[in-house]
Amino acid sequence: MSCSGSLALDCMIPCNARYVFVKVTAARDPDNVDKWEVQLRKGCLELAILAALWEEKLYGLEILRRLESDSDLIVSEGTVYPLLSRLKALGLVKSEWVESEAGHPRKYYALTPAGKKRVMDMAGIWKRFSSSMSKLLAPLGKGSK
Amino acid sequence: MTMADEANQKMEAYLGKLRQRLRGMNDDDAREIVEELRSHIRDKAAASGQMTAEGVDRALASLGSPEDLASQYMTDDLLARAVVSRSPLRIVQSLFRWASLSIAGLVVLLCSIVGYFLGAVFIVVAALKPFHPGTAGLWRLPSRADDFELSVRLGFGSAPGSGRELLGWWIVPIGLGAGCALVMLTTRFAIWCVRQYRKSRALPRG
Repeated sequence: MSCSGSLALDCMIPCNARYVFVKVTAARDPDNVDKWEVQLRKGCLELAILAALWEEKLYGLEILRRLESDSDLIVSEGTVYPLLSRLKALGLVKSEWVESEAGHPRKYYALTPAGKKRVMDMAGIWKRFSSSMSKLLAPLGKGSK
Repeated sequence: MTMADEANQKMEAYLGKLRQRLRGMNDDDAREIVEELRSHIRDKAAASGQMTAEGVDRALASLGSPEDLASQYMTDDLLARAVVSRSPLRIVQSLFRWASLSIAGLVVLLCSIVGYFLGAVFIVVAALKPFHPGTAGLWRLPSRADDFELSVRLGFGSAPGSGRELLGWWIVPIGLGAGCALVMLTTRFAIWCVRQYRKSRALPRG
């Protein structure tokens, strides 16, 4: 049986092809302290949310208020809700709807056992990290000579 | 129209847009997101008692545009489902979304497409070998003086005159093996990248 003509389908692998490596470098501006601060806050947000839930279950707005009053994390609301949904998908928090006196139900979040373990682990890392950073930064407090 | 009606209308318009953008997500999840945000907007806008249009405006402004908000939910949902499902189709679908957000996503998408494509070519050539034994296979074709090209031919058309077929019937087990391995490796690579990305990202955008 011969199959002729225009159906030729070829996958060529030229051995002399030049491979182009695209080096992806994030645009970094070493002088931009604000950007660094944003990254720092961003990195802490997951720990902050899990820690806020340590003692009791809270709904979204309560978590936001807790973060604003107990820490100076400036949090955008449009960020916290998707993050809560991600933490739930990862099995770190669970949620339930509770009727409120305001006339509408609220979605409360609580830590799961996996979430408790995670926040303990993260807190341990945080404490070690911040104490070593504090030691490193101590000379700065004495002012320059 | 009363004040409360106006406030309600603004809120529902926002939530309607959000719901529309969450299409593709599991229905229950999307409904729950909309419910949660409705409850948030009501609480926020009625902080001083009555829900007012200004209060709703303020609450919506701090949530950001429905497009942005939905895209944060959607990306995460798609990536999460990709990690769980392991289906190449779903993975590529998620990678397309990731690619629309970052260069890293684009690079991973391109690598994955190349991987899946080559894997599929190897599997197809192995499957077609019995039907086109003379032409299907891996060919070594001279191109320039001391150069050559490797060509995987699926067996349509005539055999290249000056080339040499390299594997003969071995293309069947080797093609199947290499094809399946490529598809598997590409899947693992893509899932690994997606996992790293999800882990590295406390927030969906910078």
